[in-house]
Amino acid sequence: MKKLLALILALAMALTFVACGAPAETGGGSEGEGGGEAVGNELAGTYDVVIWAPEAAVDLTKKQVDDFNSSNEYGITVNATVEPVSEADAATNMITDVQAGGDLYFFAQDQLSRLIQAGALSKLGASAVEFVKSNNNAASILAAQAGTDLYAYPLTADNGYFMYYDKSVVPESDIDSLEAIIADCEAAGKNISYELENAWYNAGFFFGTGCHSDWVTDADGNFISIDDDFNSDKGLIAAKGLYKIVSSKSYVSASTADFASGSAVVITGTWNYSTIKDQLGDNMGVADLPSFEVDGQSYHIGSYSGCKLMGVKPQTDAVRGAALARLAQYLTGKDCQLARFDSFGWGPSNNEALADPAVAADPTLAALNEQGNYAVPQPNIHGSWWDIAKVITTDVKASDGSDEALKAALAKYEESIQAVFTMSDDVKNAFTVIGSINGDGWTLDLPMTADGDVWTSDEAYTMDAGVEFKCRQGKSWDVAYPADNFVVETAGTYYIQLNAATGEVSLVPAE
Amino acid sequence: MSNQKHHMGMKTLNRVSNSAIYILLIVISVIWLIPFVFIVLQSFRVESTYQVGYVIPQQWGLQNYINLWNSDFKRWYLNTFIIALAAAVFQTVIVLCMSYTLSRFRFKMRGPLMRFMLILGMFPGMLTMIILYRVLSDLGLTQANAVPGLILVSVASSGMGYYVSKGFFDTIPKSLDEAARVDGATRLQVLYKIILPLAKPIVIYTILTAFMGPWGDYVFARYVAFGTSAGYNVAVGMYSWLTNDQINNMYTTFCAGGVIVALPVTILFLCLQKYYVEGVTGGAVKG
Repeated sequence: MKKLLALILALAMALTFVACGAPAETGGGSEGEGGGEAVGNELAGTYDVVIWAPEAAVDLTKKQVDDFNSSNEYGITVNATVEPVSEADAATNMITDVQAGGDLYFFAQDQLSRLIQAGALSKLGASAVEFVKSNNNAASILAAQAGTDLYAYPLTADNGYFMYYDKSVVPESDIDSLEAIIADCEAAGKNISYELENAWYNAGFFFGTGCHSDWVTDADGNFISIDDDFNSDKGLIAAKGLYKIVSSKSYVSASTADFASGSAVVITGTWNYSTIKDQLGDNMGVADLPSFEVDGQSYHIGSYSGCKLMGVKPQTDAVRGAALARLAQYLTGKDCQLARFDSFGWGPSNNEALADPAVAADPTLAALNEQGNYAVPQPNIHGSWWDIAKVITTDVKASDGSDEALKAALAKYEESIQAVFTMSDDVKNAFTVIGSINGDGWTLDLPMTADGDVWTSDEAYTMDAGVEFKCRQGKSWDVAYPADNFVVETAGTYYIQLNAATGEVSLVPAE
Repeated sequence: MSNQKHHMGMKTLNRVSNSAIYILLIVISVIWLIPFVFIVLQSFRVESTYQVGYVIPQQWGLQNYINLWNSDFKRWYLNTFIIALAAAVFQTVIVLCMSYTLSRFRFKMRGPLMRFMLILGMFPGMLTMIILYRVLSDLGLTQANAVPGLILVSVASSGMGYYVSKGFFDTIPKSLDEAARVDGATRLQVLYKIILPLAKPIVIYTILTAFMGPWGDYVFARYVAFGTSAGYNVAVGMYSWLTNDQINNMYTTFCAGGVIVALPVTILFLCLQKYYVEGVTGGAVKG
């Protein structure tokens, strides 16, 4: 043993020097490679593929890949290694080292932006876009989208929450009213598990009163701005509703299946169904979320609905990328989604699978569907929002429930989200050049310096004829010149000059 | 008479204060033991696999341990054991050699070298995590090959942890070495025939700490073995059972895993406890 390890270590040391000389392999592929434009026999061949699937789905995924091998018409044989990686962890694992990550991976939609920015997803090709759009329901298509482009394949559309309750504590006649449920639980000395100290859950109160919170992303998955009205009169109503439950002695901030430990109502999702069924037996009730009443008017609590997606890592080899796209389409197709519904109760996103009688009859999916009328499809959300918005609940809970205190909590929230985009005035007012200069695809802002109203680029750039660019202010598109892209007519090395007073852009040849 | 009374008073006082101390100690040890007892009890609960609100199982059984045996846990356990064992062996050899050299030899740059290592040791190891990952990844020692990679990492800089044992070696009189040298012993013989038998506690302390490091490692192991079950150690593997979609099926199995992980360490400590305490304090006498 010792000798063997000594040998390994010696080899490892020797290899260090070899590795230093080896050229680094490049990772990202260009757009469209994941999409699969190539057709027919060009794709035939054997591919070694690493698939990351949640532990529960590992065996099923292996079987589905085998089915794909025997049934696909392109002559693709996939030699798959399926590793158990939870869809909740996919982005964290991917970002560690995209090159070494799984080729196909399951992930929850909130990770989409991070994955795109890490280069772990690329835009789907035209045929893949067609496949996704024609087969899946609207919410799941939206989930796979950043800007206007699709980046992933919808797998499920069941990532939402609804109410499980103990029929022996909460009578069926009370389940539509939050106030009645709180009264029942308080009287019975039972708990209500509702994880409101988590923004995924507490935002539902605000959506219920008609508030919205939308992050705007550009095509590269970067966040540009936020449109949010939680701090408004409607938001105040939501905060009052929130106060009703968090001030109750029955309230517990949790979303685990804890009927065995004193809860009579648990707000959670399909993933806890079998456990809760086991805990409550015939006493289990499933329903959409209740309504709360403020100033005589009733508001149905909203929620987020979300999806699980399958990502395909960009491949350097276009043929391989296209073959993987076929595999991803098979794995996210109707039959595979139905098989996952049968095995784990995952709600399909595929339209045909949704129409299947067994799916339509499922009680949890029915409740989810009912709640779907009040649910907001979870868009791309800036990672910091979750920590900012969960504080609303803590602040509301700590307050005395008065209008002033609740308003203060909401004002604090608004201040925090606006701070995400706060730039110094210098940055906000400065112009920069962005475009296809240096072969760079409109991703980098090149600095300019002002002399009065005239802004000149800090460097001279060598540009071919046909290169396009714009000058924009504050790295956003609110103020940008010229109105249409500036197109270079003669190749050469130029400084770029902008007269901010007139909006006139010109090229100054460098010496 | 009054003397006698006084004596009795002392005795009662002793008894009272002793029982107060014992009650306090019992309360503290009960508090300290609750989580462990809880985990052990949960690991034998078979009526359900999720978290419940009671401690005593309604049905007892070994199903959780059978589940462990049928999962990847075997592989993870073996990985951890190999890493910890290799680290214990290599690290101990390196540390003891290092300490012996620095304690007994006088050579040029000895002082600066010791100071240099002292300063290097002040940088937190996490700082090097990303670059070490890159190096390991270039060597092909990540993911499925994480085990040799993690051994390399834990052994590589172990020479710098020589302080405690060097301190202990310094307390062993140099005249013993000299006597042995006069009788014809080589430097190596001095080390393993004279110094090591006298420094038994510190050797055992070194082995124990070297073993414990990789045994409980999570952060680095997770980073190096990401996304590949075959390269996980127990901490990383078991953590993957705690995700939302897994915990309801795996909670009791997780507890069983916790018991199995704790076993070798507990046994090791029970057997080597008296040396361990001597070792920790022994080296501190002279720095």
